[in-house]
Amino acid sequence: MKRRAFMLSCLLSALADSKTATPQYAKVLRGLALQFPRDHGAHPDFRTEWWYVTGALDLPRKDIGFQLTFFRVRTGFVEALASPIAASQIVFAHAAVTLPGDKLLHADRAARANLGAGFSTSDCDVHIGAWQIQRSVSDVFMLKAQDAQFAFDLTLTPTQPKMLQGDAGFSQKGVRAEQASYYVTWPNLQVDGSIVLGGKSQAARGKAWFDHEWSSEVLGEADVGWDWLGINLADGGALMAFRIRDAAGATVFSHATLRDVMGRTQTWSGAAVQFKALRKWRSARGTEYPVEVELRFGSHIVRTMPIIDDQELSTRRPAPVVYWEGLVQVEGTLTGRGYLELTGYAGKIVM
Amino acid sequence: MLVVSGLTKRHPNALRPIFRDLNFSVSAGQIVALVGESGVGKSTLLNCIAGLETAEAGSVQIDLQNMMALGEAERARLRAARIGFVFQAFHVLPTLTVAQNIAVPLLLTRVPVAEHAVRIGALLDRVGLAAFGARWPASLSGGELQRVAIARALVHKPQLILADEPTGNLDPRTANEVLSLLLERCREQNTAALIVTHSAQVAARCDHTLTLTPEGLQA
Amino acid sequence: MTLALWLIQAQFQTRFTATLLSMLAIALGVALGFAIDLINTAALNDFSRAMKSVQGEPDAVIAPRDSAASVPLTAINQVARDAAVLVVAPVIEVRVRVDNDAATVRLIGLDVLTAPAVMPDLLPRQSAEVSGNLFGDGVYLSRALATRLKRNAGDEITLMRGDATWRTRIAGDLPATRPDDLIAVADIAWVQARFGPLDAVSEARIRLAANTDVEAWRKSISATLPSGLVVKGAADEGARVSNLSRAYRVNLNVLALVALLTGGFLVFATQLTAVAQRSTQFALLGVLGLTPSQRMAQVLLEAVAIGIPGSALGLALGYALAFAFTRLLGGDLGGGYFSGSAPTLVATPFSMLIFFALGCAASLVGAAYPAWLNRSQPLAAALKTGFAHRPPQAHSQRGVLLVALSFVAIALSQAPAIAGLPFAGYAAIAVVLVIGIVAAPLATHALFSHLSRYDLPPAQRIAVQNVAQAPLMAQVAASGLIVSFALTVSMVIMVSSFRVAVDTWLDEVLPAPLYVRSKATPLPQAALDALKRPDAPFVKSESAAFSGLTLDASRPAVALLVRELDRNDPGIRLPFTGPVIAAPLEQTVVWVSEPMAELYGIKPGQQLRLPLLGREMNVFIGGVWRDYARQFGSVVISRGDYEKLGGRFEPTDLALWPRAGQEAAAKNWLAEYVKRYALEFSESVEIRRISLSIFDKSFVVTYALEAAAMLIGLFGLAVTLAASVWLRARELATLSALGFDRAMLTRAVMFEGLMIASIGLAIGLACGVAVGALLTHVINPQAFHWRMQLHIPWFVVMLGVVLTLLAGLVASRFAARQTTLLPAARVLGSVQ
Repeated sequence: MKRRAFMLSCLLSALADSKTATPQYAKVLRGLALQFPRDHGAHPDFRTEWWYVTGALDLPRKDIGFQLTFFRVRTGFVEALASPIAASQIVFAHAAVTLPGDKLLHADRAARANLGAGFSTSDCDVHIGAWQIQRSVSDVFMLKAQDAQFAFDLTLTPTQPKMLQGDAGFSQKGVRAEQASYYVTWPNLQVDGSIVLGGKSQAARGKAWFDHEWSSEVLGEADVGWDWLGINLADGGALMAFRIRDAAGATVFSHATLRDVMGRTQTWSGAAVQFKALRKWRSARGTEYPVEVELRFGSHIVRTMPIIDDQELSTRRPAPVVYWEGLVQVEGTLTGRGYLELTGYAGKIVM
Repeated sequence: MLVVSGLTKRHPNALRPIFRDLNFSVSAGQIVALVGESGVGKSTLLNCIAGLETAEAGSVQIDLQNMMALGEAERARLRAARIGFVFQAFHVLPTLTVAQNIAVPLLLTRVPVAEHAVRIGALLDRVGLAAFGARWPASLSGGELQRVAIARALVHKPQLILADEPTGNLDPRTANEVLSLLLERCREQNTAALIVTHSAQVAARCDHTLTLTPEGLQA
Repeated sequence: MTLALWLIQAQFQTRFTATLLSMLAIALGVALGFAIDLINTAALNDFSRAMKSVQGEPDAVIAPRDSAASVPLTAINQVARDAAVLVVAPVIEVRVRVDNDAATVRLIGLDVLTAPAVMPDLLPRQSAEVSGNLFGDGVYLSRALATRLKRNAGDEITLMRGDATWRTRIAGDLPATRPDDLIAVADIAWVQARFGPLDAVSEARIRLAANTDVEAWRKSISATLPSGLVVKGAADEGARVSNLSRAYRVNLNVLALVALLTGGFLVFATQLTAVAQRSTQFALLGVLGLTPSQRMAQVLLEAVAIGIPGSALGLALGYALAFAFTRLLGGDLGGGYFSGSAPTLVATPFSMLIFFALGCAASLVGAAYPAWLNRSQPLAAALKTGFAHRPPQAHSQRGVLLVALSFVAIALSQAPAIAGLPFAGYAAIAVVLVIGIVAAPLATHALFSHLSRYDLPPAQRIAVQNVAQAPLMAQVAASGLIVSFALTVSMVIMVSSFRVAVDTWLDEVLPAPLYVRSKATPLPQAALDALKRPDAPFVKSESAAFSGLTLDASRPAVALLVRELDRNDPGIRLPFTGPVIAAPLEQTVVWVSEPMAELYGIKPGQQLRLPLLGREMNVFIGGVWRDYARQFGSVVISRGDYEKLGGRFEPTDLALWPRAGQEAAAKNWLAEYVKRYALEFSESVEIRRISLSIFDKSFVVTYALEAAAMLIGLFGLAVTLAASVWLRARELATLSALGFDRAMLTRAVMFEGLMIASIGLAIGLACGVAVGALLTHVINPQAFHWRMQLHIPWFVVMLGVVLTLLAGLVASRFAARQTTLLPAARVLGSVQ
């Protein structure tokens, strides 16, 4: 559920020439059995897809957040063009590191498939240049990203089975049946490897969260954004919750999934999941984000505490997108660390 | 002041020396006339004393410095500091004004420029050219030019004046005036002078006369 | 210092004209040098900026060595995965024609996702009125192109390359391109789909991580790539741009320095006469106590006093000159390396300082000998009789010196180029000029002692005696002429030799009466097919294709010419400079041009590895042919061999022989195709004319420099003659008192001037021929890698001799007037 990818897909399809036929995007259907490792790979027939890794490190320092995300977008145009480098499949990538008590570092890349970017349709293997997320046969994910300010080279080793969100991977995102995605999560991955900060390479260790989601239609006309969080709980459990908001800030659709350390999964939807802003932080750009959120579902009440307030992101390529996405501490009836994503607060995108 | 001893000068291609083993001295305030027939070597002797020509043997002491032992540049500096020159042909620089001409020795001896005007003005006054400072040499008569030359020879208060026929180009009356001026000023400043001349009148007005002959110097 | 200033002031007042002329000569030399430097630097910067605007400033570029080949996508994707690579921005560039416009346009296909990091100036902007996006079917035109085509966003246009056409529309513009760029940009995939190459791109421009050792990276990545690809660093780009015109620029700078040298010569003449004139004054100052080194310093100070205002004036003049030149003619000094609008001049403090210092140095060098003379004047003698020049050196000594110098000159002429530039050749030229100057006294002595044997009229006899007795001034005057005339003659000879060679060469390389070109895009197959039909009014046609081969990343590419010629008899089409060696049947044979043979040290009969068609191939060198068109080398391969290697022959040029009597019909027949495909049609006569006019234009600056040198030489003659006459004012006055009338004196002085000018011209001519030979046989081959026969245009040279003699006469008449104007009585009466 990444705002960025959503924006991009909307943007790109809006750009598509009205004369060209709207492509037939594959539909997300309930009841389809996902097959692995095939479904770790790309699904180029769908409009949008992302592989999303967030995590918190305890080495070299406590509460260093890191993120590496690949988005694949089927643009819907130039599909008939007789060129292997037609811009029909574009890959974007985003890497970020949160330094506690300091700041957020981030970088992004974009490339079209076959021209710097690539993805496999048989397993998780996506890259732009030397940035990559790749799964090995033993389910270990290998992450690589480099930029002028930071670089990391990490392996993610499962400590628990993966989670198929929603109904065996079919995740409802709105009131209409078509508003859905296929959604696979792998929480509590053991992180090992190295991270380069300030030109110095250091050993890294921590916990990570892996999402893989693909869809063709998610949001309704009136929806402007969402709040999402994915938390590795201290006791080995995993919590995922989101709500979709309209222009007035009212919840249009909400959902929460909790898997406890024994592997038992519970889900809540609708009025049973309540988001409430406890503290707002105003960014330099003037956008207010509810960085401290109170989440109630079932008998649980938890609140998020950002590691640092300023985890606002802005990217310019291919169009300006501004949102908040960062490492938070979760306290309350459940405790843990994970990523909170707050999108649609910076207003409408100017095209 | 000037002590010449054992001075011997030979012409490059001649067997006989021009003069041999000359010995004489001129003390401070003393004015000596050097006479002799043409071609006997008076000018050469003067050139040797001034360090413009070198001699084969002997020494020329000016203020205890042996001119002959010095290099070219030191000789030039010694001339600038200790000697004033007066020539038969005046040799006033045509491209400089009268005052500038007189200032040349001051510049060469690095007298502060601030002092120039006073010293040159006083001297011009003494040689009777008070109003001539800004004039160009081309507009001056022979007598006036020689007065300028005398002023230039004395302006830096040299210990020795070397004069080569200072009145040779002048009419008798002017010659007399100019000579008087030169002698007065030398005596006034207690300067030694060696004056090469053909004129008996000139020699008579000096303190002492030396006669150069092919055989040597006769007092 | 006060005294020095007084003396300088006095000197400038009394010799105002001569001093001013020296100053102007220095100013002229500095101005020419500075202007040339300014224009060249500006043009080069402009050219680099233009290239950067289109190519961006990548850290490295992966390109095919053979411009007809391409970079496979696999290579791009492989390089992209390297951790040091931040962005790989691929481009496909093709030359296309737009609609029926005559110009060919660079169509650049790029990927808007990667281009911003490397070539931001090429980014397209979608027009608000046109739907679609930057990935779509649409082209974006530079302002210059849109203006030229008179088209707006939304208009339909057709792009053509050979037989491939793309009907599309203008979707927007290129806001950051430079005002005169004719560029169209489109999405790389669209360009690929319409014009190819399939599964490949033209080149990839790469941005590396900031801390990357580019050289090491380049080496390691090169090793993993196919041999047909080259990885160029950013430094190569600069080197290549600079190499493109380096020899030409250095040559011009050397010419400008020559102008400065002649300026120094004028200072020499002025200061020497100044020393001579003031010898009594300096002797007096010496007696009064000015030390020898102070007397030397005084002359040098005066030179500096000429040099400083001269150089300052020269800088201002040079800037004005460069400004006027670039406004009027653009940034190209005639070399044809740069074109386009007027570049911006940037006068850096460094270059200003350099040229200022050069001006002062030239002045100081000119004054060195006079200063030394002034130092060594015997005081007592000078005070009595004025300037005394030491008796001239024994003539036998000079003879030995001349022989020794000749050997030095010969040795230097045989030395190889240093860093691709003929420095030894330039030194040899300098030595030849020195030989001329050293020979001057010998010649003066010989001529005047010979003349004195004749029964001459009294005036002339006096002149002859005067020169025979006091030859220094005559030598100075003659030397100035020797240097300037030698340089002028040598330029005339070099240009003439070159022109004659180009003329004959054009005959050889333009055998057909008619030529058709399609300017970098392939000729349409329809036209080629039509030529083959029996009704086509042509006896014969031959076509050719061109591409570029990168043999060395830091040098401009070598041209590859694929031509329809018989590999067993290439001599009928190529002007070979030596033997043609038959190649073994199974081997590919190529014939390299003279510049290529020299640049890469290739000899006929050798094997050479050439990066053809995306791979390295062994070829046989069948011979070396003369090519004055491509300074960086060219290599010819027969169409048969090229196709045998798997190359696709896509000709762009056609040579046509109409049937006898059907010339008009042939032109009509062609006109249709020319119009339909916007081809360029020309007759060989016209190509010749244009080529020669381009050639002539390229030497305009050379002519200007020649004229400057000649003018300075004549100044020198006038100044020295005037001074020598001035020095002898008393002597001339005495003569006048003895009964010579003014006319006789004038004749005497003019006769002297004429004799001196004759000597100067005779030696100058001899030196000029020698320097011309050096320019033609040493400088040209080493700097530009082309050789030619020496051709001396006697008529022009003799005309120059006559004109200079006349000018010399005028100069000496001027000098004579100066003296005879002085009232004899005053001169005789003046004490000084």
